Order: sequence, then structure tokens, then C-alpha cells
Amino acid sequence: METLRALMAEEVTHVVGLPDNTLGPLFDLLLGHETVTLVTVTREGEAFAVASGLWLGGASPLVAIQNTGLLEAGDSLRGTALRMAAPIPIIVSGRGYAKMRRAALTPDEDRTLDLLTRAEVDSAALLTEPTLDAWGVPYLHCDGEADPAAAIVETIRAARVHERPTAVVLARALT
Amino acid sequence: MTTAQLLDPLARHRTDEVVVTTMSPTRAWGRLSDHDLDFASADSAMGHAADLALGIALARPDRIVICLNGDGSMLMSLGTLATIVGCGAANLVLFVLDNGVFEITGGQPVPAAPEIDYAALAEAVGFPRVFRFDEPRAYAQAVPDVLTVSGAGPTFVHARVEPGAEGPIERSESEAARYLRCSLAEWARSFRAVLGAERA
Repeated sequence: METLRALMAEEVTHVVGLPDNTLGPLFDLLLGHETVTLVTVTREGEAFAVASGLWLGGASPLVAIQNTGLLEAGDSLRGTALRMAAPIPIIVSGRGYAKMRRAALTPDEDRTLDLLTRAEVDSAALLTEPTLDAWGVPYLHCDGEADPAAAIVETIRAARVHERPTAVVLARALT
Repeated sequence: MTTAQLLDPLARHRTDEVVVTTMSPTRAWGRLSDHDLDFASADSAMGHAADLALGIALARPDRIVICLNGDGSMLMSLGTLATIVGCGAANLVLFVLDNGVFEITGGQPVPAAPEIDYAALAEAVGFPRVFRFDEPRAYAQAVPDVLTVSGAGPTFVHARVEPGAEGPIERSESEAARYLRCSLAEWARSFRAVLGAERA
């Protein structure tokens, strides 16, 4: 898998998170992996605390979670990685982006109650990028034909250069 | 047992262990300890001290990592007990100081206190080493054993303590503890330097 090869090339030591259908194949490959340790948590808020502790101890962790879990994890991200200025890259798999595309919508829409309650729209996708903006987390958006492994590498390097948590929102499958 | 009766023997036996504190134990521990490897998860993420300590323990298996958590904080992230056991971090010693109240907000009762048996919860999740203490003399005698970890897995300590009167924790010059007189980011940098993490 290109993504795993990219993590190894960037010397990521731990992947911390929870699988969804996009991240599941990566988690499967990491079970018992020799150089990249998988830490599966019970809720996404834990992922930022565990990853911050790993960084405090000298490791190079990466968080991998779904956007729904990102929304749950706000105070943990704020109170650990952001407050510590920890250079933790975050893969956010994007539930609801396909529905958003089918509805010809973007994350820039006005977040009216009518929009957020429409049956054919998954509000997780509408809220992910505005939430990252609000929390002060820079992010890349990876969609369509874009190379997810390259976007992850760019995210890891940006987190390290700028010494802050940095995300990539994956609106497509991993390779 | 008072919080001081719990922390005093720990401070006397502590050598080079990492100690992570949160909420009311933070200021109390800071009155006893001025160590470069103290880390206050205060003015920080609510309920995430134990998982932060787990991360340090996983990164540094050569160190014992002690977490002084509260009962209210533990309840905010009970799933962390499963995460800790799943990781098998044998160098992690997780204390839950169970005073039955949210102390720093004025002593409001924690849900289901005092019925919750945190030690039984830890045993049910699979912690291989679980201690229960509510009497200071027996606890003080057991501290060396508690801190002698083995490869069996993580250690859990359920300590029933009396409610104290610690107020809200701030990061400011008015705090006595050195680890509360700077930002979390500043202390994180110095903590990493002491651990040698900057060279990793």
C-alpha cells in the first residue's frame, strides 16, 4: 500500500486512531507491523491525547480518524496537541463527501438549518473543514484524482515544519 | 485518607519516574514535588490525562509513568481503561484519586459516587495489577510494591480519599508549582528536552 510506504519513509512511529471503511485497509496492514505501531483507541478524543504523549516521549505519531470522530474530539485536540504545539499529522477520512458532491454542495455553503437537516446531505462533510478552520488546524483537501499518499506526506512535512497539528481531509479512498 | 497522605509517600519514593497530574491533584502534587519530569495536564483537555500518560509510556518503555487522575476525570474517558490494557503498557501506573466530587468546581458530587468501584472496573477490563487503598498506613507500606512494575501489564490504583478544597487551576505566576508558571507548550518543550526526546 502506497500510504504505508509513505508513513515508513517519513519515519512515522505510531498510527493512533479508529478505523472506518476508508482507513480500515491501513489498520489491517498495521496489525503487528514491525516498524509502525498501531494504537487503536475507543474514542477519537483519546487519539490526540495518546499521540501528544507519544510526541512528548520522542515518538513521531500520526492520528487517523473519521471526520465524525474529529468533531467529537475537539477539546482533546485543543487541549493537547494544539496547546503543546505538537507537530502531529492527522488523516481525517471524509464521510459524506460523495453525498455532498452528488448534491452539488461544497463546505463553503451557508450552514442553514434547512441544509443541515436535509435527508440527502451528510452534515459531517459540510462541517469538517469549517471546524478545522475554526480550531486553527491547517489542512489539505484530497479528492478525485489527487494522490492520497503524496497528500499525507505533504501533511506530515507541514506539521513538522510549522510545529503544529496539521490535517489532510481525505474525500477519496487510500491507495 | 487525605490527598496529602496519598501523595506524600509517593513523592518520597519517586526517583526518575514521569508523573502526570490533572485537576485537584495537580496543585497538591506541586506542593510536594519540583521535578523536571512532572507534567500537569491542567488547563488542558478535560478527562485526557490517563491517555496522555499512556502515550508517554508507549514512547518511553524505559521509564515508569505515573498518572494521578481523579474520579471525575476518569469517568470522562472510561474507554481509556480498555485502550491502556489493549496496549499492554506495563510501565504505566494509573492512580484514580476517588473523592466522589468535582473538587475544583466546589465539590459537586460525581455521578454514582460513592457506589462506583473503580478497582473492579479495572479488573473487569483486564488490568493485571490492581490495588485498592483507603487507609493511609497500609497504603504507605505498599507504595514500593506499587511502583515495582513487572512485565505483566499496566497497574491500576484505586485510592479513596477525602474531598479537599483545591480551587480552579490556572497557568500563571501566582501558582507555586513551576509546571504551572508557564504555558503548556513551554513545559512540553522542556519536558521533551529532559527526556531526550528532542534527539529522537
